[in-house]
Amino acid sequence: MRKLTDHIKRAIVSQNFSSRFGLLSRHNPYLSFFLLLLVLFLASCRPSTDDRPPGYLIAGIESYPLQLDPRYATDANSVRIGNLVYNSLLRADEKSELRPELAEHWRVIDDRTYVFDLRQGITFHDGQPLTAADVKFTYESILQPDSRSPKRGLLKPLQSIEQIGSHQLKFRLSLPHAPFVEQFTLGVVPAGSPPSHDARHRIPAGSGPFMLASMESGEKVTLRANPNYWDGKPQLAGLVFRNVPDAMVRVLEFKKGAIDFMQNDLEPDMLPWLDQHTNADIGSYDGTTFQYIGINLTHHVLRNVKVRQALACAVDRERIIRHLLKGIGTKANGLLAPINWAYDDSVQRWPYDPTRAKRLLDEAGFADPDGDGPLPRFRLSFKTTNIDLRRRIAEALKEQLQQVGIELEVRSYEWATFFSDVKKGNFHLYSLAWVGVMDPDVFHQIFHSASVPPNGDNRGRYHNADLDRLLDQGRNTIDRTRRKVVYAQAQKILAEDLPYVPLWWWKNVIVKKPSIEGFVPYPDGDLISLQKVSWRGTPST
Amino acid sequence: MKRYFIHRLLLLLPTLLGAITLVFVLIHLIPGDPVDVMLGETAGAADKAELRRSLGFDQPLATQYRSFLVNLAFGNLGRSLYEQTSVATIISARLPATMQLALCAMLMAVLISFLLATMAAKRRGGWIDRSALVFSLLGLSLPNFWLGPLLMILFSIQLGWLPVSGRGGLSHVVLPAFTLGLGMAAILTRILRASLLHVSREDYVQTARAKGLSERQVWLKHMLRNALLSVITIMSLQFGSLLAGSLITETIFSWPGIGRLTVQAIQTRDYPLVQGCILVIAASYVLINFLTDILYKIVDPRITYAK
Repeated sequence: MRKLTDHIKRAIVSQNFSSRFGLLSRHNPYLSFFLLLLVLFLASCRPSTDDRPPGYLIAGIESYPLQLDPRYATDANSVRIGNLVYNSLLRADEKSELRPELAEHWRVIDDRTYVFDLRQGITFHDGQPLTAADVKFTYESILQPDSRSPKRGLLKPLQSIEQIGSHQLKFRLSLPHAPFVEQFTLGVVPAGSPPSHDARHRIPAGSGPFMLASMESGEKVTLRANPNYWDGKPQLAGLVFRNVPDAMVRVLEFKKGAIDFMQNDLEPDMLPWLDQHTNADIGSYDGTTFQYIGINLTHHVLRNVKVRQALACAVDRERIIRHLLKGIGTKANGLLAPINWAYDDSVQRWPYDPTRAKRLLDEAGFADPDGDGPLPRFRLSFKTTNIDLRRRIAEALKEQLQQVGIELEVRSYEWATFFSDVKKGNFHLYSLAWVGVMDPDVFHQIFHSASVPPNGDNRGRYHNADLDRLLDQGRNTIDRTRRKVVYAQAQKILAEDLPYVPLWWWKNVIVKKPSIEGFVPYPDGDLISLQKVSWRGTPST
Repeated sequence: MKRYFIHRLLLLLPTLLGAITLVFVLIHLIPGDPVDVMLGETAGAADKAELRRSLGFDQPLATQYRSFLVNLAFGNLGRSLYEQTSVATIISARLPATMQLALCAMLMAVLISFLLATMAAKRRGGWIDRSALVFSLLGLSLPNFWLGPLLMILFSIQLGWLPVSGRGGLSHVVLPAFTLGLGMAAILTRILRASLLHVSREDYVQTARAKGLSERQVWLKHMLRNALLSVITIMSLQFGSLLAGSLITETIFSWPGIGRLTVQAIQTRDYPLVQGCILVIAASYVLINFLTDILYKIVDPRITYAK
């Protein structure tokens, strides 16, 4: 094809060609126009590059990572790709337990002090040694007032970082703050790295299993295996993350063989097709992403707890999971997934029971005005995004609530408009998901009275003094056993009071070529196990 | 003539200003806060307020607009809120892809429509004519988001001839260009066929035949050339729809152009980038219209731009 292009280009510009056929003469201006278009087009073509360097794995992703620098990364793909490039003091394993990574050992001295001993001999990709000074710099650069880092708020409890020698650090908090340990999963950059809002193309070096080779804006990110990685050189030569926004096109690329690996962001309807028409190795694994119905508790109907309980009883989650989600979800009874250490299994559950839902609504004072007739008990609006699956789920919910006499008006919006309404409290009901939940302190962010936007994510304006007290206690208690007791009580309150109606935990869906070996799915969708992945035979098989 | 062109050039300025003002107002009026997207869920209200202040989003809209225009006057389109590079750099990296796609779509549309319309007009009422009309109808009815995947399944998966998506060599551009250009091809086919049928009844065509000119000469020199004026007008107007259509086509085909960039910028409320993209699209549109006026003169020397 490339030869053909060159040939046409040469032929068009050659004098013989044009004079022989008189194409560029003033008598044929429209043909000249054709040729002008053709030349412009050919000139703008670029040679077909080899999308598959030998030994590389190509992963299809839905959106291009906005910012790989771990101090600024917030979107899922930036975090996941960043985790392959940067190391952190601690790292969550496949059971969501924090394990030392850059740290060889770590100790909790008291409820405000943590000491870390770093591994010796670790270097950044540019060859510079990684020391305590780099770790200290990473955290302190975020705390700079002009850093513009989205993680600055999370580090607020940090009072000081003391460097003890070249490989030891002491973190001191201003107050006991148990969830702060999650901040030790922050990727470390070399001391002196400029803030990334200077220029994205000067992304600091990391020390992780893969090195950033190139970023083609909007198209793909290429990582090369780090041959000097302290935990062993990755078996893959590298990784290419190809941005293919349309899920169906990603599936077709997989079928064509141009993509080897996909995780999530696929329409459930596509899975049976993939299963039948490709040799894909498809697996679904328990995840932590929690789907719920958010409720506006300032609404005169919805502030009644019996109405919320009726909503929970009226939703047939099992049917939605089976028919719309094609099984890639598990019925949820609360925000924390069973894999979470603080998960409490003994909370109140609300199985599908439309009769009970009707009874609860009657008890709440919202009798059905005409029995089984068309008039509803009350009307509510339900906001969701304009993604096809979300709209279909909303229609299913509408149908189910109609069975108990609640009329739902489904309104779907473009994401930013929808999210803006949700934050402002401009809704009756909406559905969203919480992604990447690890520490139970997330309850504080979502349900504490002090967390009403803009100070948090209590979008339903839920107020419960007992819960506030428990959440404060859970935040200030360092001992995990005691925290578990506290959060068990909090989960019981939430399951009774239902400021959210739990729907399901999404499963992580992995679609990969059968010749990819060694991938371990993580509940939060982390891709760190790609460092241990290898090809069996040739990549194209 | 010269005076006319200077006049037209000066008219470009208010057109562009109008377009950019409209975009500026609309993007600021629709719900959604870029600071929320930039700082994420966990940032405190104080941090958000501080960022809003440092970006100038706390200023009244009129002040922001004034400062935007002043920067624009100095050729500064601003910096993207997320990509942290200048908007001009980002757009210039993506512009060749969009121009390649639009040019190729136009080229395909022109080739298909000239071939079909000429054959249809030559054999009016025949099966080719009827096929051309069916083609026009289909081309206008099939939406890009449906046609694109259909072509992928057929040509990439079933036949294996072309790549599914992405930008690369010549083979990568075929499917997106056809998807994007089909609507234009359909319109051009209809217009050109009608124009050819119209001019075929003109006296000068009969005269040309009476002079003993070959049929090829009659068609090329007398009919096609005279039928071209209306086609050029439609082409220039359709170029805008090619750029607009690229928003969908580029997303479907993972084509890294301005269209996809605009969609992404709107989703993340990247105000400077949205403004920059729309400015470039609007500028391309008015520029093409300007060039069309010049083309008129070349195609039909009788046209004069007297004062």
